[in-house]
Amino acid sequence: MKRNSTNSSSPATPRHSGLSRRHFLLRGLGACIALPAFESLSPLRGFADSAAAARKLATTATGAPLRTAFLYFPNGAIQPTWWPKGEITDFELSRTLQPLTSVRDHIQVLGGLDHANATAGPDGAGDHARANGTFLTGVRMRKSATNVRAGVSIDQAIAREVGHLTRLSSLELTCDAGRNTGACDSGYSCAYQYNVSWSSPTTPMTPEANPRQVFERLFGAGSADERANELKRRRAEQRSILDFVMADARDLQHRLTATDRDKLDQYLTGVRELETRIQRAEKLGDPRNPAQDAPPGIPPSYAEHVQLMLDTLVLAFQTDSTRVATVLLAHDGSNRSFAEIGIPEGHHDLSHHRNNKEWIQKLSDIDLWYSKQFARFLERLRDTKDVDGKSLLDNSMILYGSGNADGNNHTHHNLPFVLAGGGGGTLSPGRFVKHGSKPASNLFLSLSDRMGVQGLESFGDSTGRLVNL
Amino acid sequence: MSSTRKLCLSLCAICVALVSPSLFADTGGAATFRRDIRPLLETYCFDCHADGANKGNIAFDEFDSDQAALEDRDLWLHVLKNLRAGLMPPRKKSQPSPEEKARIEQWIKRAVFQSNPENPDPGLVTIRRLNRTEYRNTIRDLLGVDFDTGSIFPPDDTGHGFDNIADVLTLPPMLLEKYVFAANQIINQAVPTVPRVMREQVINGRQFRGGEDAPDDRNARGNRRGGLQLSYYQPAAVSNTFRADIAGRYQLAVALMINDRFVDNVHDYNKCRLIFRVDGRELLNQEYTWQAGKPYNYNYETDWAAGNHELAFELQPLTTNEPQTRTLSMQITSVKVSGPTAKEHWVQPRDYAKFFPKKVPEEAKARQAYARDVLGPFARRAYRRPVDDRTLDRLVKLAESVYRQPGETFEAGVAQAMVAVLASPRFLFREERAEPTTGGPYAFVDELSLGSRLSYFLWSSMPDEELLQLAEKGDLRKNLSAQVARMLKDEKSEAFVRNFVGQWLRARDIETVPIEARFVLAREEKFDAERARGRQRFNELRDRPEDQLTPAEREELQRLRETFRRSFRQQPRAELTGELRTDMRRETEMTFDYVLREDRSLLELLDADYSFLNERLAKHYGISDVSGNNLRLVKLPANSPRGGVLTQGTMLGVTSNPTRTSPVKRGVFVLENILGTPPPPPPPDIPPLEDAAKELTNRAPTLRETLAVHREKALCASCHNRMDPIGLAFENFNAMGMWRESEYGEVIDATGSLVTGESFNDIRDLKRTLVKNHYKDFYHTVTEKLLTYALGRGLEYYDVETCDQIVSKIEAAQGRPSALIAGLVDSAPFQKMRTVEVKQPDKPARSTQQRADARHKP
Repeated sequence: MKRNSTNSSSPATPRHSGLSRRHFLLRGLGACIALPAFESLSPLRGFADSAAAARKLATTATGAPLRTAFLYFPNGAIQPTWWPKGEITDFELSRTLQPLTSVRDHIQVLGGLDHANATAGPDGAGDHARANGTFLTGVRMRKSATNVRAGVSIDQAIAREVGHLTRLSSLELTCDAGRNTGACDSGYSCAYQYNVSWSSPTTPMTPEANPRQVFERLFGAGSADERANELKRRRAEQRSILDFVMADARDLQHRLTATDRDKLDQYLTGVRELETRIQRAEKLGDPRNPAQDAPPGIPPSYAEHVQLMLDTLVLAFQTDSTRVATVLLAHDGSNRSFAEIGIPEGHHDLSHHRNNKEWIQKLSDIDLWYSKQFARFLERLRDTKDVDGKSLLDNSMILYGSGNADGNNHTHHNLPFVLAGGGGGTLSPGRFVKHGSKPASNLFLSLSDRMGVQGLESFGDSTGRLVNL
Repeated sequence: MSSTRKLCLSLCAICVALVSPSLFADTGGAATFRRDIRPLLETYCFDCHADGANKGNIAFDEFDSDQAALEDRDLWLHVLKNLRAGLMPPRKKSQPSPEEKARIEQWIKRAVFQSNPENPDPGLVTIRRLNRTEYRNTIRDLLGVDFDTGSIFPPDDTGHGFDNIADVLTLPPMLLEKYVFAANQIINQAVPTVPRVMREQVINGRQFRGGEDAPDDRNARGNRRGGLQLSYYQPAAVSNTFRADIAGRYQLAVALMINDRFVDNVHDYNKCRLIFRVDGRELLNQEYTWQAGKPYNYNYETDWAAGNHELAFELQPLTTNEPQTRTLSMQITSVKVSGPTAKEHWVQPRDYAKFFPKKVPEEAKARQAYARDVLGPFARRAYRRPVDDRTLDRLVKLAESVYRQPGETFEAGVAQAMVAVLASPRFLFREERAEPTTGGPYAFVDELSLGSRLSYFLWSSMPDEELLQLAEKGDLRKNLSAQVARMLKDEKSEAFVRNFVGQWLRARDIETVPIEARFVLAREEKFDAERARGRQRFNELRDRPEDQLTPAEREELQRLRETFRRSFRQQPRAELTGELRTDMRRETEMTFDYVLREDRSLLELLDADYSFLNERLAKHYGISDVSGNNLRLVKLPANSPRGGVLTQGTMLGVTSNPTRTSPVKRGVFVLENILGTPPPPPPPDIPPLEDAAKELTNRAPTLRETLAVHREKALCASCHNRMDPIGLAFENFNAMGMWRESEYGEVIDATGSLVTGESFNDIRDLKRTLVKNHYKDFYHTVTEKLLTYALGRGLEYYDVETCDQIVSKIEAAQGRPSALIAGLVDSAPFQKMRTVEVKQPDKPARSTQQRADARHKP
């Protein structure tokens, strides 16, 4: 809608020459999932210069957007069938990682990364809550059912810096649609177990489970030709009430106690976020509208759900709607039944396998199922062209992992991690690297460096940067 | 803290006390402790919890001073609970006399908790956001719109087992965005923005006659299904006659939706054709597959003479051989007839007068005044208290800013201001204020806050006009019991039963818990060694690359595959269908509802000679002579194992794994939700179990045997001795809640004994024991759960006093729920709030943490 009024001198235009925001919108976003991938862009002059420049925020050397996503799979992995044989470039993918053969040159398997803060330490039971809550925060969470305190997660630390470049500063997704009643893991709040993304130590970024809602948030509701207008209308409606609700909130604030004010702060943060998002949307223009129907909602099969959600994420990256995302495929401790692949038992139930061979086999099959979904996602990214003619996968950093290593014994060292993507030329995939015993937080710092985040000296329990990526 | 710095009570501590004047200043508690309590602890507790022994991480002599021991309230809360439940001292050790027990209890309550029975601490409630159930109900009562929050808002986090706990109801930015979106949608739907519109008549699907109505499952997914359900599997023809009063052009909008009964990971490939005809003319003729929840909308125009017109749907099944796994249905939601389209026939929109009772004036000042007249009462109801002028000014200004724009109506401006009200924190959060007249650290909440507390407790919704008016006049407290009675009579109180029971007894979860009927039932067959070998062989062959198999092996694989496939295609003899799951949920809700409304003893929740059944559920339970679809009170056969919530499908199902029962989870359920003594969580590193099957070559071990191996480990035994026997008593019920005599051909042994000493022969016996010997534990548990739910916060040590008071009232009333509700509504935490901020210690109690920390130091 606003595309025509957005000209290349607008402040939000990427600073490299020769590729205006408009250009980007018109050409780069072309290939949506239903269509064949867009032809590569003609030679991009001027990119050589920017490559020499200092690392820009969430931008590759060629001036394309650099994205990062974090995918969580639950309950760890059967170790012998997870880890490849060999090392560095000379390695053989294990049974579980076999599906990644097609993208082998785009992934690196990371060995030797730990989350010491997910171990029991003084807190006792609750490894699933901790595995999940520590995954992207690297901190020790307060053990409490209601008095929640985690840490800012790495995706949010990055989004704070790069979020203003896109219409949504980050996207939080999950394929865990339901929620049981009752308490969660061993005295930990359920918030730890159902969120991996935290914008503050007390505010989890609740993920969206409905692919349709995600799609409509990105592109608007209704048929393909109504969406742009619908987005615009949504913004107008939002804008008209912001002043009033802010005034109401301030009225309320005066009368509240400290804990209450914390709740109201969450409200105010939300309002401000909405405000800046409206401004950003107007500055950046509408997204290229995918010529496809919105997904119908939460599909009945888990496989379809996961695929649909990841497809939507590809769309979000492709249209440069966001550069930061998290996907909680299922929460740690998930007891989902995998009857569709002949495993009727619950995943968590099986994971305490008591060294029963049949159970171990089934678990390994579930691990395999998850890596198939991941492989399919990576293939999509690889097959989608980015603005600089490279693939989305080349210009991304996708971490796939679990906060439990061995689900049977609840270990949190040597976590099963795969880092996919070329990071815009800053990563060296196609390898299996054993990093010794290093905090996973070191990896996060290294990723945030590549995203152009500055001034992040330490994160979680980091002891430095992770080299040899 | 290093162990050398850790001083023991005893002589050292006394020496310190002598030289340290500050310790003379301690409260009387420490002195009583030394004189009255410590000797009792020495006699009954020190063997395991002092002098270097610290079983369960409890050591009574590892404090710096008596005063420090006194300040560890979490420790004493544990002591109190264990003592009361008879868990400590263990049965085989010498027991304190009732008088001694009472002395310890009193000392803990008075000296440690410093509770004042006359004026207990009401505790601190954080400002509460409406959860998605409360939001939905509030919107319904405020505007008459049913807004499906379940599919738009993310699930609320739970704490202490409930989804209305203030502390964990966070508000991430994404939710705020959704609130704004929802506010617009709701107001769009409810509030007319123009004074005249084309006449609209909506014919609900249910008004179409002639076909068989397929099973309606409105309850299965939060009441969201309306309309006529036509099964995909049976031909149907239905019609409705519409009378057009005036000749002219009419618009028809047909709304359809495809529904199914959710079964995880099972596909249904059936198809059907739907034809829509108007006066015999075919307007729609289309094929549909399974696309659950997908709406279809079609629009047509037609010129009609005045008089009758026939609208008809015909459904033709297209597949006869496909398995009917998900109960597909085509929902005829509605047909909306609009017209005549000519403007002279337009009418006032529906509900217009409800929002705009008079004609909109032309003059600017008069318009402002009118906007104020409309918005004031609306905001009062939405905020659940009268609004001040400043707020009203802002609302009118907002309305004006819209309706002054060219092309915008006055109504649209007012509607936009209403959107702002629904997006305001004063709507989304429940603000509470104190009664200004009272002094002291605890004050009564004002009557408007009390009204909201009541309505969200008993209705999960906003206060109605009567409550609001009483509160505004200051008459609510005077009429409290009459109001509570009135509120419980109102059908809105079904929300209380549904939300409280749904979470306390987890009845809600039965709708979605994954259960694989085929595998559950297979356990009731004799263990088939040959089949197991076949299965193993099949897996082995299947996992080898196909090109490495010999032709003979390939053939064997194919043969095995055929065998398994054949048996897999057979329908299992019972399925936990969606209908059955809903019946089970309703059974539990109706049981509680009956006890509540008939004011029967709460103990009937544990054991009763009746339950609420329909034909389907009765058959599932193996009870004959119940017919029809309606659940109703059924007197159970003599000696039936059913009766009471524990042997209902809900509890038995939600505690099961997908393929089998879990005695451990069932035991934990009873300890947590009935006896109120939840076991501590399992240790972080569960030692791997020896495979119990090793010694049993020709059959799989029973669960009882596996668990027995488990309990041989001392680490496991202390807790599993409490939960396993209880759980094993339920083994005659499979994971779907059906009765069975044996598992894998072995007769089930349901005997056992409680850690408190009573032994039982079977589940009937266990239920009787719970009623007879543990009724007080149960009263305590129900009270604690209900208080948590009503207050929206977890309970703390200072709530012990309140709970004790309520429990004595229940006891005095022979277990009647009316005493529980009245006691709760009258209690300090429900009536009052703290007026000064009390610094809360971090919740994992400091001392527990330190004890653990000390233990982990090298």
